[in-house]
Amino acid sequence: MKIAVMSCIHGNYEALNAVLSDIDDQNADKVYCLGDLVGYGPHPNAVVEMIRALDIPTCQGCWDEDIVEGLNSCECSYPSVLAEKRGKVAHDWTNQVIHPEVREYLAQLPLSLRDDNLCFVHGSPHNQHEYLMPEVDAFVAMERVLATGADILFCGHTHVPYVRSLDVGQLQIRVKLTGKSEPQNTSFSAPLKRIVNAGSVGEPRHGRPNATYVIYDNDTDQITLREVEYDYQKTCAAIIENGLPPVFAWRLSKGLEYAERADDPTHVCER
Amino acid sequence: MPSLNITLVSGPPGAGKTTWIRQQISSAAETAVYLNLGSGNTPNDFRRACAIDPTYLAAEVAGLTVLPVEQLTDFLAHPLAGSAVYVELGFHIDLTSLILPDQMADCQRVAVLPPGTRHTEWHGWADLVVTGVETGAVLSQPHLWRSVLSGQVLDLASLNTFWYELTHGAYGTVQRAKGIFDVADGRSLHFDFVTGLAEATYLELNLPRWLNGRPDRFSGIEVVGEALEQEAIAQTIKECCLNDQAIAYYQQQIKDSLDPGDEVA
Repeated sequence: MKIAVMSCIHGNYEALNAVLSDIDDQNADKVYCLGDLVGYGPHPNAVVEMIRALDIPTCQGCWDEDIVEGLNSCECSYPSVLAEKRGKVAHDWTNQVIHPEVREYLAQLPLSLRDDNLCFVHGSPHNQHEYLMPEVDAFVAMERVLATGADILFCGHTHVPYVRSLDVGQLQIRVKLTGKSEPQNTSFSAPLKRIVNAGSVGEPRHGRPNATYVIYDNDTDQITLREVEYDYQKTCAAIIENGLPPVFAWRLSKGLEYAERADDPTHVCER
Repeated sequence: MPSLNITLVSGPPGAGKTTWIRQQISSAAETAVYLNLGSGNTPNDFRRACAIDPTYLAAEVAGLTVLPVEQLTDFLAHPLAGSAVYVELGFHIDLTSLILPDQMADCQRVAVLPPGTRHTEWHGWADLVVTGVETGAVLSQPHLWRSVLSGQVLDLASLNTFWYELTHGAYGTVQRAKGIFDVADGRSLHFDFVTGLAEATYLELNLPRWLNGRPDRFSGIEVVGEALEQEAIAQTIKECCLNDQAIAYYQQQIKDSLDPGDEVA
């Protein structure tokens, strides 16, 4: 069975349409979405309506949460003063145009989804705002997967698609109980775990405007990263027509994300 | 009256005029005086004039005297004996209508031009043509935009993002951009961009860290290009600036981390 996983659409309806067409072409049997349906892009309502119409199982992203709860992120959400100001402009614009039923839909999205040995989250199992960058410490990465009980953790949020295999996990635990003089040592090998980041449909950061998503084939255990071209100029034009900052359009056309890249792989969100 | 050893230096933006002058001063034994005509004024006038090159040279070249334009007449009447005087002309100054004081009539004229440049007004004007660096395509309608930022403190991560956007076409076609910026950790940074040259990181100017409120020294930006979106550039710079509370917070953090012997302004 082929499972398509996409994330971080960010109100980019043109990109979503192109990815859905590609998923059709790839004959995927199931589709999951890892959230961030809204934010930055010019078509938040249309994106949500499309996801709802197709009944695609979706977990809540950080932008979806912020539109429901209000901006309440820790500083890891914005790597600079400029990015924070741009993010607030995008948040305020989205907050104004979003339809009430769309907000209600975003509010009821689950934080994670399970399908057999697969787990789907937006950022990490602990927090929608936490970045699991490809370079994140192996122990942290392993802990995040083990926390779910799944074998493969699908995430998004970083906008960087990647597959990371955690296959040489030797863990040692030392426990000293009160009243007992000798600590107990336990060591074990963690089984093969993987983290799969689906990249971003609507806000890529790989230097090209193309959308990315992944397909997992559980018969062959193969993971395929897909990169899909679309008419990004339409989205750029809509950004400007809707009064969003023109630099968002320029950055989208360069594959640089709308506001600014967040580049701190070692940061663990403490919110 | 001592004889004057004056060199006028001209050329298109980004060809390497200031770099050539710095090389001449560094390799000569005599003391040097620098005057910039056309790029504003001097560090003494830092709240009104965009003095990027004078500030850069004053910080980086030991012993250099940077001469304010308004002191030129006095200087020519009472020049420093045995010193070499370099006068840099902005690219936009019309060489044919430039009227110089009589004392400068016999000066040497140097044009710093990109490789392969032929038959320009600089060739007819100069005594010596120096090959500088490539500056990319010639703009049909070059536009110069400047802003004085003295007193502003920028967030460095934001500044890096803005500089990338500026030099990669987000706000119009940029052929040349340079700036001096005060950042949150107290440093004064010199940014320098010319189309076609390898991207360089910023240079930390040889100035003490400014860790006591808003800096009382020059900072500013100058951009040469076409179809420049000036309002968007100005707005983005504004969004990179820190407020008083943030400045105080970061400066205190840096102060706490410095050694007792570190130089602080």
